[in-house]
Amino acid sequence: MAIDRSSSNDFGRPLRRLLLAVIVLVLAGIFLLWRIDSPRVERFRAQITDRIVPNLDWAMTPVTGTVNLFRDFQSYQRLTVQNQELRSELRKMQTWKEAALQLEQENARLLDLNKVRLDPRLTHITGVVQADSGSPFRQSVLLNVGARDGIVDGWATVDGIGLVGRISGVGENTARVILVTDTSSRIPAVIQPSGQRAIIAGDNSAAPPIDFLENPDLVRPGDRVSSSGDGGVFPAGILIGQVAADPGGRLRVRLAADFERLEFLRVLRHHGSEKVNEDAAVVRDDATGMIAPLPFDPATE
Amino acid sequence: MMDELSPLRLWLMRAAFLALTVVLLFFHLLPLDTQPIALFAPELSPPLATIDPAEARLRALLDQGSDRIWIAPDLLIAFALAWSVRRPDYVPALLLAVAFLLTDLLLQRPPGLWALLALLACENMKTRGRTLRDSTFGAEWLAVSVWLIAILMLNRIVLSLLLVPPPQWSLSLFELAVTILTYPAVVFVTHALMGVRKSAPGDLDSMGNRS
Repeated sequence: MAIDRSSSNDFGRPLRRLLLAVIVLVLAGIFLLWRIDSPRVERFRAQITDRIVPNLDWAMTPVTGTVNLFRDFQSYQRLTVQNQELRSELRKMQTWKEAALQLEQENARLLDLNKVRLDPRLTHITGVVQADSGSPFRQSVLLNVGARDGIVDGWATVDGIGLVGRISGVGENTARVILVTDTSSRIPAVIQPSGQRAIIAGDNSAAPPIDFLENPDLVRPGDRVSSSGDGGVFPAGILIGQVAADPGGRLRVRLAADFERLEFLRVLRHHGSEKVNEDAAVVRDDATGMIAPLPFDPATE
Repeated sequence: MMDELSPLRLWLMRAAFLALTVVLLFFHLLPLDTQPIALFAPELSPPLATIDPAEARLRALLDQGSDRIWIAPDLLIAFALAWSVRRPDYVPALLLAVAFLLTDLLLQRPPGLWALLALLACENMKTRGRTLRDSTFGAEWLAVSVWLIAILMLNRIVLSLLLVPPPQWSLSLFELAVTILTYPAVVFVTHALMGVRKSAPGDLDSMGNRS
């Protein structure tokens, strides 16, 4: 067989081997670069995603719609039964609505008396979910809003009810949301009513475990878990879910957000909470330990 | 048969492989699977209905009955291996590297590592293609399975050595099993629908040489 080989192929083979060696080195280099300088490569990844995925959108939307339509057929079967149940529940709900309206008015009056300012800087941008992570090992979605819309890394993302994840990786037109369920997700949380602080650490399951809990005895199943805010960009007080336990006795969070079908997500704009950086300099003069003089003399005012 | 060997067809098939990669990525990225796999999920206690009946009721209504219990096979590597065994010149190393690297980047894997391992597996299968040509499909299936297991292990070992948390064991093994089981179907599609067949002894390759 080797006799049949022409000279061009004898020449081609070492060349091909050399090319393979170069490719292997380049791939290994990319991986090592990622390991050493992850943010730079992740930015590159966000740019690549930003270039490619929005171009697929024209095809993705109808295909997703069609698949969802077929999935819906299964739930249509239960529709009549559900409808009847809902009607009877709606009747009961009417009485509650009256009660709620009265309470709301009372609350509004009380707030007015207090002149409470309810975090006015917390506004939101709504984005459409364009793609998911594409692999069962990672839990993230891609939104169609990005740096163009002023999205910043670290902002919180919610659906109508609870926390969904945080922004990680912003391209010009897209932003990636790392879901609370992802293995790399760590959300500082506070558990009410005991006020315990903990970290909600995703582990690729539907109910992420609660880590670094100071005193587990104070926490009972059903307690509310909400975000405690950190880093100046993640707002506090967003509902995450309820405490529950798995068969091993480990505390987990039953998430409030509906992850089954994420379509529209709100990104909460948060421009940081003001911090007291200079300790006591306002009140005390550090050198003398005396009360600092006021910057202006009230007498001359 | 000359038509099969023309440079035009060669480049068409290379483009076809790239197109196949994009199509597979497209279906991976469809925003349908936004919840974790429910297969290994622990049962939570106490049940929601006992502590918050209203919330449980609401969830029952919202539940669409589409729990995610199925992991898709890694079709790209299966196709790449099947094509490598049959027609090495349709999938040159550079094309494979680009396709795998693109997949790494878009599917949130550590970029480069999986691409590197998959490329090595494919290149090895290319050199074995000549001997596998004469043997049965069973031998090819076995060789492919061995390589799939090998790159899975190597991937985990390298990631662990570099202190990157490797993917979940249970999911990895499940995906591996599904990929191996679907390999015959992939080969069937490759052979029958895409027309990528093993060159018979004495066929001419693209350079006009006898293979």
